[in-house]
Amino acid sequence: MATVKVSEAEKVYILHGIRDDLRVDGRGCEDYRHVEIETDVVSNTDGSAKVTLGYTAVLVGIKADIGKPKPMVPNEGYLEFFVDCSANATPEFEGRGGEELGTELSNTLYKVFNNKHSVDLKSLCISAGEHCWVLYVDVLLLQCDGNLYDAISIAIKAALFNTKIPRVHISADEEGGKEIELSDDPYDCMRLDVENVPCIVTLCKVGHRHVVDVTLQEKACSVASLIISVTHKGTITCTRKVGGGSLDPESIFEMTEAGKRVGKALHAPLMALLQQEESLGKKRQKVGFLG
Amino acid sequence: MLKSKTFVKKTRSGGVMKIVREHYLRDDIWCGSEACTECKQESTELLKDACIESNLCSFPHYLVPDTNVVLHQIDVLEDPVIRNVIILQTVLQEVRHRSAPVYKRLKDIIHEKEKHFYTFTNEHHRDTFIEREPGETANDRNDRAIRVAAKWYSQHLKKFEADTDGLCVVLLTNDQGNKQKAEESGLLVYRFEEYIKSLIANPELVDRLALSNNDKNEITSSKVLFPEHLPLSRIQSGIKSGSFLQGTFRASRDNYLEATVFVQGEGEDSTEVLIQGLQNLNRAVHQDVVAVQLLPRNQWVAPSSVVLQDEGAAKDDAVEEGEEEKALKISAAEAARKPTGKVVGVIKRNWRPFCGMLNISQIKESTRHLFTPADRRIPRIRIETRQASTLAGQRIMVAIDGWPKSSRYPNGHFVRSLGGAGEKDTEQEVLLLEHDVPHQAFSQAVLSFLPKMPWAITPEDMAKREDLRHLTVCSVDPPGCTDIDDALHCRELENGNLEVGVHIADVTHFIRPGNALDKEAANRGTTVYLCGKRIDMVPELLSSNLCSLRSNVERLAFSCIWEMNQKAEILKTRFTKSVINSKASLTYAEAQMRIDDVTKNDETTKSLRGLNKLAKILKRGRIEKGALTLSSLEVRFHIDSETHDPIDLQTKELMETNSMVEEFMLLANISVAQKIYDEFPECAMLRKHPAPPPSNYDILLKAAKSKDVEIHTDSAKALADSLDVAKVDGFPYFNTLLRILATRCMMQAVYFCSGMDSDFHHYGLASPIYTHFTSPIRRSADIIVHRLLAVAIGADSTYPDLMDKHKQSALSNNLNYRHKMSQYGQTQAVGSQQQPQLQT
Repeated sequence: MATVKVSEAEKVYILHGIRDDLRVDGRGCEDYRHVEIETDVVSNTDGSAKVTLGYTAVLVGIKADIGKPKPMVPNEGYLEFFVDCSANATPEFEGRGGEELGTELSNTLYKVFNNKHSVDLKSLCISAGEHCWVLYVDVLLLQCDGNLYDAISIAIKAALFNTKIPRVHISADEEGGKEIELSDDPYDCMRLDVENVPCIVTLCKVGHRHVVDVTLQEKACSVASLIISVTHKGTITCTRKVGGGSLDPESIFEMTEAGKRVGKALHAPLMALLQQEESLGKKRQKVGFLG
Repeated sequence: MLKSKTFVKKTRSGGVMKIVREHYLRDDIWCGSEACTECKQESTELLKDACIESNLCSFPHYLVPDTNVVLHQIDVLEDPVIRNVIILQTVLQEVRHRSAPVYKRLKDIIHEKEKHFYTFTNEHHRDTFIEREPGETANDRNDRAIRVAAKWYSQHLKKFEADTDGLCVVLLTNDQGNKQKAEESGLLVYRFEEYIKSLIANPELVDRLALSNNDKNEITSSKVLFPEHLPLSRIQSGIKSGSFLQGTFRASRDNYLEATVFVQGEGEDSTEVLIQGLQNLNRAVHQDVVAVQLLPRNQWVAPSSVVLQDEGAAKDDAVEEGEEEKALKISAAEAARKPTGKVVGVIKRNWRPFCGMLNISQIKESTRHLFTPADRRIPRIRIETRQASTLAGQRIMVAIDGWPKSSRYPNGHFVRSLGGAGEKDTEQEVLLLEHDVPHQAFSQAVLSFLPKMPWAITPEDMAKREDLRHLTVCSVDPPGCTDIDDALHCRELENGNLEVGVHIADVTHFIRPGNALDKEAANRGTTVYLCGKRIDMVPELLSSNLCSLRSNVERLAFSCIWEMNQKAEILKTRFTKSVINSKASLTYAEAQMRIDDVTKNDETTKSLRGLNKLAKILKRGRIEKGALTLSSLEVRFHIDSETHDPIDLQTKELMETNSMVEEFMLLANISVAQKIYDEFPECAMLRKHPAPPPSNYDILLKAAKSKDVEIHTDSAKALADSLDVAKVDGFPYFNTLLRILATRCMMQAVYFCSGMDSDFHHYGLASPIYTHFTSPIRRSADIIVHRLLAVAIGADSTYPDLMDKHKQSALSNNLNYRHKMSQYGQTQAVGSQQQPQLQT
């Protein structure tokens, strides 16, 4: 993972600040940095979103393709994740440098998103046991400034919201052979229900307190962090501890409670924003990557 | 300005692909009108005073047809009267997508300066591009794009109203919905029929209108005569499951109520399904690709031996066909029954414009008439015309528009007149069109590859070739032949053996691979000889001059030279590019006279005598091996040199010299075939003649049996021998008749690529291998063989297509097709010329 070197004196400064609920950039312990979201940024995907969180920037593209359902769940579609750590983000990612981080991120994403409680996988079924939609979720890290999980989860939720799956029609002939026909109207498409899609809140233990949305400097002062995925109702669907240090049960409880609170507060404005953007329709001004 | 077009597509592997195309809009697309002072165009297509006399619009106007109008009414649009038309890019693209032939015709019109057709790229114009809206089908979107473009034009032209006497655009559409919407937006819009009928000066255009759906309802009664065709999806699933068969529909020449469907099976096994009766034929037309369903075995029938012509006055749609159909049902023996079926749907129509004559309706004032095509396999077509009296007695062309299930005949429309029936030029045109013989003059592109005149053999050519100018070479051909492609020589060597040479015009020296001239020759395939007219395969400069081995001029040749002993056994064969100087061009009769005239003893005559002697030995040897001589009598014309009218006809006399030339050509072909096959076993172009299956001989055996003559068909030799002894006293013509019948039993000889086939045998000539080498001026296969041989002896370089067996195979198929069509054409030309002769 991208890291920065922080001197002892800087560490003390950061630790003392957090102890007093005042972080280096002026935020409180449970405050996020400035978040920018834009959907439909890559025209040849079925859904895409770009999210910047402070200086962290991620791009998520979703492509829908027809595949064969998993034998265990013949009436559900599924998601595939791939995280590409671009060397643009940090020189450490050059060559195969980002591979390990990419795998780690995508493994977590499978746990968080690829289940029927997060995404309505049944709606991705075309014909049970034969054809289903497979959503290929490609995540591209453009810039790393800490808190990748939260930024990626927001981008995935926004991209799923934006996803338009072409409607299909199944025509069966006499012998039971099925033929899938695509609708020729580009506007005729299916949208996903993203209400239950969780967001990830990463809490970092810094000194005796925990903070959300850490910058790289703050991260350097932390020994362990907890990744929590929270739905809009405040339900926790997944938690995971990362980092070398240990966490005592009491602080885990405290951190989960804080995560619930922050997560709930994150969902409402996110959905409102996405809906607002959608309602603009064609009048929306595209910002893209140069804006 | 940038827009993007998005659509989803299914890939072959079953995946889904979203494709996004960038689409750039411009502000520098001009309107193309002469009246416009705003657009900065360099040249204009559309005239300022676009006048066409119409009683609907008395002011100058431009026409904007929609896609369906172009697709269905291209015949009318091609008329010189229709000018100043704006073809929108939307229309052009849709036409291209829907019908390649119409697209090509449209492009041709656009290129024609006189027609003043202008293509407006509305899809890239900033003001006329529209995006598809939610819930809008692709067709609706295109209709809207056409309306928007028309609207743009009318507003654009309004600015110059002052000096154009109200120039405007007229949208032509046959779509009710589109028309209504256009009217609502204030456009001037007419149905195409409506507009054409309003043209005061040109009533004849109305005849060329294709019938649109609305009109068909008026014409036909409501009675349903035919079963409905199944939809394509049902047909496809039926073919997959095996309940239907797919094949090419072949109507019978002799019986309009009968047809066969040729079903191509896997590999060699293909079957023929018999179709009988109007209901079962179900509106299929000759050459259509159809789906057939087999009838239960107890309803199978035998092909009838009745000749039935669809004649007389137009039959009422409701008239019972009962009686004629009954004539068919006279049941034949159980054994003769063949698989019988019915047509359930048409997969692909193969309609082309047909040539024929008009049968004028007996009802006076009627505008509906029946048209009888020249090809008897095509049903009669009902057309609507007001100029029936003018068209009577003319050969005309008619295109089919459709065949509704409630109509006894297909509906069509008049395309053009070819000229008076019986006139030589008209008849020839009909013949060439009906047999798909390319007969237009050679294009400039083709002619540009001809050598510059005056042409002479260069020293470089001389250095690369063997100089055979000193040899006594002569050519023997039919009288009046100007494309001489073969010449011969024979001389005694010092060791007592004979040297025989066959010299063939070196056409490949002039026609280089891949250029326009080569492509044209490969497409034409063969020169077609009609009575008194020759449709050349290569331009005349080559066929009658530079490549023709005329006497006393130096010509490039490809020579095949044998050393033979006195028993005509070949001791040595060699091939070489050469330069020759023919000493004499003789006719068969002249050559025969020289041989017979004992007083003549010059070099040429001696050479001829030597050739003649060897040819006789060769022929005897061939016949012993079982070569067939089936040549029936051929007819020749004496043509008046002034008027080119045939004045007399006589059966062709076969002289010794005929077979002399033939014998050496066969020998050359066989030697070359062996050589190129040895050198290129994968891609040699050869000619084979498969042995006919035993059942083919049925008619011959039946005929022979009627006179108690026995014919053996076990082998070519047995057949030849038994034909020789098949004679009936007091019926001298019987033997010839049998031979003509035997010809009919034979299979077609075909070109093929050696890498794609294993059976090379030539049945008729009793040769294990054969090709065509000796007539490169008039056959395109010989050109390929020349090239192969030149590569084999290191006289020329090769090129990729020559060594590609699939391309070779495709080329042979075209040559076979052209060859077959030209043969039909030539036979028919002879037939049609004989008729007047026999009458007088």
